Amino acid sequence: MPIVEPVISVEMPSGEDVQIVRRRFQGSAGPGPRVAVVAGIRGDTPEGIRVAHELCAFLGQHEAALSGTVDVYPCCNPLAAHRGARRWPFFDVDLNRLFPGRQDGHPPDRVAWALSQEIADADQVIELRGAHPAFREAPQAHVRHRDGKAAELAMGANVAVVWARHPGPAANSTFAYQHPGTIVLEGGCGNRLTHGVGRDLREGLLHMLSMLGVVAEADLPFHWAALQRPQVVTDEEVVRVRTSRGGLFLPEGTPWQEIEAGQPLGSVVDPVTGAACEEVVSPVSGRLLAVREQPVVFPGSMVGRVVTT
Amino acid sequence: MTVVFRMEAPYRGAYELHRLSFGSGSPSVAIVAGMHGYELTGLHAVNMLATALRVSRPKGTVHLLPLVNTFGADENQKRWPFDDQDINHAFPGDPAGTAVQRIAHALLEATHADVCVDVHSGAPHVRELPHVRVPMGGEEVELGRKMGLPVVWRRPGDRLDATGLVGAWRQAGHKAVVIEGGRGGTLDTQHSELIARGLGALLGHLHILPAMPGPGVLADVTHSEVETHRAPFGGFFVPEVKVGQRVQAGHLLGYLQAPIGGDRLGELRAERPGVVMTLRAYPMVHASELLVRVAGIPQ
Ligand SMILES: [Zn+2]
Repeated sequence: MPIVEPVISVEMPSGEDVQIVRRRFQGSAGPGPRVAVVAGIRGDTPEGIRVAHELCAFLGQHEAALSGTVDVYPCCNPLAAHRGARRWPFFDVDLNRLFPGRQDGHPPDRVAWALSQEIADADQVIELRGAHPAFREAPQAHVRHRDGKAAELAMGANVAVVWARHPGPAANSTFAYQHPGTIVLEGGCGNRLTHGVGRDLREGLLHMLSMLGVVAEADLPFHWAALQRPQVVTDEEVVRVRTSRGGLFLPEGTPWQEIEAGQPLGSVVDPVTGAACEEVVSPVSGRLLAVREQPVVFPGSMVGRVVTT
Repeated sequence: MTVVFRMEAPYRGAYELHRLSFGSGSPSVAIVAGMHGYELTGLHAVNMLATALRVSRPKGTVHLLPLVNTFGADENQKRWPFDDQDINHAFPGDPAGTAVQRIAHALLEATHADVCVDVHSGAPHVRELPHVRVPMGGEEVELGRKMGLPVVWRRPGDRLDATGLVGAWRQAGHKAVVIEGGRGGTLDTQHSELIARGLGALLGHLHILPAMPGPGVLADVTHSEVETHRAPFGGFFVPEVKVGQRVQAGHLLGYLQAPIGGDRLGELRAERPGVVMTLRAYPMVHASELLVRVAGIPQ
């Protein structure tokens, strides 16, 4: 049985306690690494939360056969998840911009701080997300640029793409930058569960746990040969496609389909008259990594990401 | 009034960034308000200043941008409503980027001036006595003091983040300060007046307008001279003071009680003489949240 413990409890003004919970699976098959699997940093990522629970179900059945420890944090932002919203309510802050947090700050700051402490001595950290709410995305793993070790492990994540990303301006305040080698898994549709994506990510996660020596290969409920072989890309190979007009973007593609340079990704129409304003074409040949599904766009809104091949 | 930037918007009229410009030549001052849509105390203050500038002959240039985030203001929102992005995290911006990046770029281009001021309010759950935030040293400290707002707060390092407007201004070599006053989502006309008088005093100091006194500095402090009271536990906060009130050591600032039943759980008392600069307005509070700031006044 896993040990279920609160990492931190947040006292609500009305008196209730809201807990961020850790489920610890302690193997007895032999020594092994400590792996932290963290989901639900934002409240609009149910896909990651689902995968965390499916992982717990598997680990619960195979706990004795594990080598090492797996700590699963299935939902780190319960008040936001309660509303299906991205941000921590009332304070209206994005928990994924507060790391490493503050011990003496407001509740979201303290949660960020507590999580940073939790992962400090982990051997491997894996963050489970969903897609951005406006998009549908192919399953993908994000690692830091030039982190060859994380990229190698992420090759086993059963995703379409391993994206070795340069840090953006906000990188230091994100969860994924608190521990070297962190792998982020995402995919599907924002704030939704997507058929097939949860299974892909769960199998990838279990496979990475077997690569780390925590789960015995014989216990995997699938054959590794059936897993996807991802393409490793850097920022230069991931091209953002933007609209130049505002209106309604009507997409034509689906994630991971092939696309030729010049081929339409969709069109922008006037939201009142329906008249066509712009045909948005892919500037490069490759595959669609993400497609916008929330149709309202401003000039410059991103409507797709294309991975060049 | 000129439209310095225009961007079409789905389902509604185009977004327009408006600038009111007075006078010409140097020195030049740019004053921005309403980047956070629901912070309207500064908008009102900048409009008061515009009224004064219309009947004066400024020696120099004054650019006023009273309301950057019009769409947010329409909806009582801090951020840009479409994608919930904070314009003040989008600098230096990008003319070919997302909506907030385009606005940030246009705003920065429209506000190149010797002295730049960005006016904000507190969040909807706190009320701020109008004060100016300046770096620890340099010319900006003196500019801040010349406004004569009730509190001058010298703060190390923060706001230098170049994704914010003030940081972007400083990177462009301009002198930049922040005014913070009032409360998000509400209008406090007295606070608007204090800010308008402070801005007028700044223009007087720069000889753009005839010299005029600001409201008067009560406290000139660094972080260690600001007494910060946080909630030791969650509960219902009942204030016993108002922002701007002078307090002595031992003065009861407020107390926490149980939200249901009303048992008194604890009291906050001033440790030193000072002026109440920040006061919690929304009474349901979590443990460790900011309740009161008192800016120290040496006796
Ligand atoms: Zn603001």
